[in-house]
Amino acid sequence: MKKISKDKLPQLWDRLAQQATLYLPVEEDGVVNFAPWKEGAAVNLDVINTVVPPKQMVLPQSENYLHFRVDGGKLDLEPVDVDGPYVIFGARPCDVAAIAIIDKLFLDEPCDTLYKERREKGTIISLGCNEPEETCFCTAFELEPAFSPDADVSAWDMGEYLLWKAQGEKGEALTKKMEDLLEDAGADAEKAVESLRNNVASKEAAATKEYGWNAQGVKDALEDKFDSEIWDKLYRRCLGCGVCTYICPTCHCFDVQDFSRGQEGLRFRCWDSCMFGDFTLMAHGENPRPTQKERVRQRFMHKLLYYPSNFDVYACVGCGRCVRKCPVSIDITQVIKEVGGVK
Amino acid sequence: MKQLNDTIKQVAAQSLSRGDVDLVIGWQKGDLWWQSYPAFVENEQDTASLTWDPFCVANLSRYLLEEQEGKNKVAIFVKGCDALGLNQLLQDKRVDREKVYLYGIPCDGLVDHRKLEAEGFKWLSEVRKEGKELVLVGRNGEQKVNARDYMYDKCLTCRYPNPVAYDQMLGEAVEAQPEERFASVKELEEMSADERFTYWANQFSRCIRCFACRNVCPACSCRECIFDIPEPRWLGKAKELSEDQFYHIIRAYHVAGRCVDCGECTRVCPVDLPLQELNRKFIKDINELYGEYDAGVDPETEAPLVTYNTNDPAAFPES
Repeated sequence: MKKISKDKLPQLWDRLAQQATLYLPVEEDGVVNFAPWKEGAAVNLDVINTVVPPKQMVLPQSENYLHFRVDGGKLDLEPVDVDGPYVIFGARPCDVAAIAIIDKLFLDEPCDTLYKERREKGTIISLGCNEPEETCFCTAFELEPAFSPDADVSAWDMGEYLLWKAQGEKGEALTKKMEDLLEDAGADAEKAVESLRNNVASKEAAATKEYGWNAQGVKDALEDKFDSEIWDKLYRRCLGCGVCTYICPTCHCFDVQDFSRGQEGLRFRCWDSCMFGDFTLMAHGENPRPTQKERVRQRFMHKLLYYPSNFDVYACVGCGRCVRKCPVSIDITQVIKEVGGVK
Repeated sequence: MKQLNDTIKQVAAQSLSRGDVDLVIGWQKGDLWWQSYPAFVENEQDTASLTWDPFCVANLSRYLLEEQEGKNKVAIFVKGCDALGLNQLLQDKRVDREKVYLYGIPCDGLVDHRKLEAEGFKWLSEVRKEGKELVLVGRNGEQKVNARDYMYDKCLTCRYPNPVAYDQMLGEAVEAQPEERFASVKELEEMSADERFTYWANQFSRCIRCFACRNVCPACSCRECIFDIPEPRWLGKAKELSEDQFYHIIRAYHVAGRCVDCGECTRVCPVDLPLQELNRKFIKDINELYGEYDAGVDPETEAPLVTYNTNDPAAFPES
């Protein structure tokens, strides 16, 4: 275990930024989002969640991937280079777990090679949480707020300094490069981390218990709820915007579109939302999800039934962003409660 | 406020039991102290779940677009800003006044829970309004704060706190105490064109094109929105400044003259874009060009952008 005092962090970031694009939580106009490191950037490591999760580094809102040109009778296709290596510093364990969750889909056969290339160029340094937000419920999905097993490096905020632990090959390699900036953490560090992990996890578990629900068994409970009245009541206030899907760290639906100037253009992948009316609009004009009811139902079924049926893991990490940002307070914890998960 | 909370349940129950309406649209509480969200009540017994508290900020008037269908009459609670939105929907001929029963609620401002959280007020069990103060009930007991310090910015500039449209007014009229609403617009007007361009480019860089602003807006009621048309695709899906600018600026143009300044767009934006500044620039310009006009105050007045007067200012300068 290593440690680095907080006043040395800008040096660390400078060093990281020399070999890769470094993304960390930066505050601008009162909003904290992951942004590339620049000297003097207003880094904010205290806010629990950025508004937009770091999934945007792994699956960008839009990415050009193919350049096409028609020349005479010939069609020229050229792949667009994927950006270079990057480091994500300060990703919360829920957000890292989310990336591991969508990895299961994108890296599964047939592999999404574009995603894979971009994913492999990234190194993730997670920062454990020291306390839960009111809207946090990662423990309900058996995740830990202060530990990320999937990160390349785990870090913890101990006040004056961060603790730093490499996990796996990428993490070891990165740690070696930062050797001179990191000190040995000493014998008590492991214990301190363990203690922190337990404290934060039990704080959060207690808070979520106050709401009287848990996520275990919700998948089974949903098996026969396709025609349930729950959806008839829930969908009515939904505005059909894309806030929940776009700020969700596990949502990953995308569209493929072209920028075209007639003879030449770029094909790109971009985020899409199952909440939008035209999401399943078919070329022949019919829509198998004709009203907001079908769309709202789809969102929760996907996260809590279909995805776990396919990949053995819920597509929700309890980060609470959707709960905070939904303009009409549609709340996944309420849905889970109503569906009636049973441990 | 407690009184109104009871009144709301009573009038809703009455109107349903008498068969005056098929549906009541109001607000109800969620699990968290700040969740007060739109509720759709069709049975008398469910009216007990309706609430009126300092967090009932969601504008309900837009739901009439969907909920009018197949119903004889819908009752809806409207605050000052909601009533303006409703009037605009009437003026745009999207809602049938005959099919709506309006319960007006005079409102002197609602609480932005994010402002409370920013001051460390979290994990509360209840927030009540008592006069000009808020009573915050938390784990360590109660605390009182000045209500106005924690209100939404849009409430601080509210000029129509008493609903201008209503069938029945619930509660006492309140006095409008608006701050100057064009202050930010004036600051922006002082900037050079380049500075303003940079300012908005920075703001739009945060936009995630979720369309919450459009979907919540009472002036955005087109059956098919231009930004949704796939062929030709006017608005591309790429995350590019040009697309962001196209969306926000064109939408501001489309609602110009019909924006009632309800501020819902700014409230719902997940990345805190100052959208009201954009819309208010249009309102200020319209006031200066065509005379003071407040959209949504009276659905019978002729709106400036759809009316022609021979003394309308000429579009192009003399030289």
